[in-house]
Amino acid sequence: MSYLEIKDLEISFPTPKGKYVAVRDINLSIEKGEIISIIGHSGCGKSTIMNAIGGMTIPTGGSVELAGKKIKGPGPDRGIVFQNYSLLPWLTVYQNIFQAVDAVMDCSKKEKQEIVTNNLSMVSLLQHKDKLPGQLSGGMKQRVAIARAFAINPGVLLLDEPFGALDALTKGTMQLELLKLWNLSGRDKTIVMITHDIEEAIFLSDRIVVLNNGPASTIREIEHVHLPRPRNKIEIVKMPEYLEIRDRLLHLLTDKFSVEDMGVVYKK
Amino acid sequence: MSETETITATESEKIESAIPLNEDVQKENKLKYYLSLVIDKSKSLFFACIGLLLFGGFWSFMSNYTENELPGPVATLTVMQEMLSDPFYDYGPNDKGIGLLLIASVGTVLSGFLIGSVVAIPLGILMGASKTFKQILYPLVQLLKPVSPLAWFPIGLVVFKDTGMATIFIVFITSLWSTVINTSFGIGSIPQDHKNVAKAFGFSKWRYLTKILIPFSLPHIITGLRLSIGVAWLVIVAGEMLSGASGIGFFVWDSWNALSLEKVISAILIIGIVGLLFDKLFTFIENKVSYKA
Repeated sequence: MSYLEIKDLEISFPTPKGKYVAVRDINLSIEKGEIISIIGHSGCGKSTIMNAIGGMTIPTGGSVELAGKKIKGPGPDRGIVFQNYSLLPWLTVYQNIFQAVDAVMDCSKKEKQEIVTNNLSMVSLLQHKDKLPGQLSGGMKQRVAIARAFAINPGVLLLDEPFGALDALTKGTMQLELLKLWNLSGRDKTIVMITHDIEEAIFLSDRIVVLNNGPASTIREIEHVHLPRPRNKIEIVKMPEYLEIRDRLLHLLTDKFSVEDMGVVYKK
Repeated sequence: MSETETITATESEKIESAIPLNEDVQKENKLKYYLSLVIDKSKSLFFACIGLLLFGGFWSFMSNYTENELPGPVATLTVMQEMLSDPFYDYGPNDKGIGLLLIASVGTVLSGFLIGSVVAIPLGILMGASKTFKQILYPLVQLLKPVSPLAWFPIGLVVFKDTGMATIFIVFITSLWSTVINTSFGIGSIPQDHKNVAKAFGFSKWRYLTKILIPFSLPHIITGLRLSIGVAWLVIVAGEMLSGASGIGFFVWDSWNALSLEKVISAILIIGIVGLLFDKLFTFIENKVSYKA
């Protein structure tokens, strides 16, 4: 029995035209401390699976179990980082994290304040603690959101396309920030993240789950990434295993690689 | 790992050390900023004056055209000055200074407006938060909103048997609609993102109310209040003409009966200024509670 166990998961929504099945037959066992990426085309049900683990949607079939207990709703054992940061714009950086900690944690106010301060300094935002989200850049906002998710000290971190809206350079820094936090917490936090980015998935994950196109998506393939940690961005791209995985993922996710594949023929 | 930390440390050091170096430049920038602010303000003041002058010119023209039956700006302003020089005299119920009349009217408007808001805001919250409440109340609001508040005056009289109370009652009715509609719109448009935060981090009802629902909808509520008090101030003049209760509205009617158009126009200007001040006050609060996403 794994730490996070997804069994025969099916999620469907009633529509006027009948039942719409978003995902089905999802089986996935995730160990404690594993980093898993879910990758697939838009609308293939990645977020649906994520929401089921987060407890934001209730499965219509099968189950999601965390540490042997069936997930029935959101809980403090899972920290969620939303794609669009989801900070409350009227609260300062500090208050955004404090409100979450205050809602979830069962300890004295002083300890809570310490938790917030620690997590803010871990993402190097302590000197910005009194700013409002509107005064921060996209990367900084996402760092606040990640700090908020880490602050409640969950066993599982769920990241829904966390770096999708960031520019390539900021994205690279943020991936390292995430690994830093994961290392600082003793590599025992399980991370499940959704991404569109093959390089990102390989750099971060232990396993990469590739989904079929929706509707009624299933798992198409699970790629194991055996690259040694800590990984170095420049080093790993030269490793043959990295290249192999990247090729396989590219083939799984795309079927056209040049304009010729699209039926365009050059004439001189 | 430690590498990222040292990088951020040196970066913040750079930023801090950059401040004293560029102090002169910063001062200059600040000066430029204030200068541009002053220029902007004086520009808009200048254009406002042009508007007033145009209005005054048109007014003078109309006054000449009606052979001074409509008093001109100079005659009016002289009377107005007289009125304002002794605003708080009290020679019995039908002869009071303009200041006392204004206080009476503002008092009526504020009481009606306050009671109205106390009813309208919770009602709006209910309508915004619950679909059922919206289905129950929204048709009623739609039905009653277009009715002139003056039509409620006889009902107020019957219920309260008192003209003063009836006037407060019509202001109360007037103050409801914009606040109810804006509040319910504000509450109803809380983004799913914010609700997800509450859900994911297990916010209690109270925390959701105080940290998400109210901060998000406060700007909408204040807008509703601003519109409401605007209409309430509109209605008070007509209300006092109906009720005969002492106040600025009754003063207009009384001056008309005494054939002092100078006083009527002075009162119109004063009513306008007070309305403007109400609006400015609520715009100020609106800016205080609004936030940048």
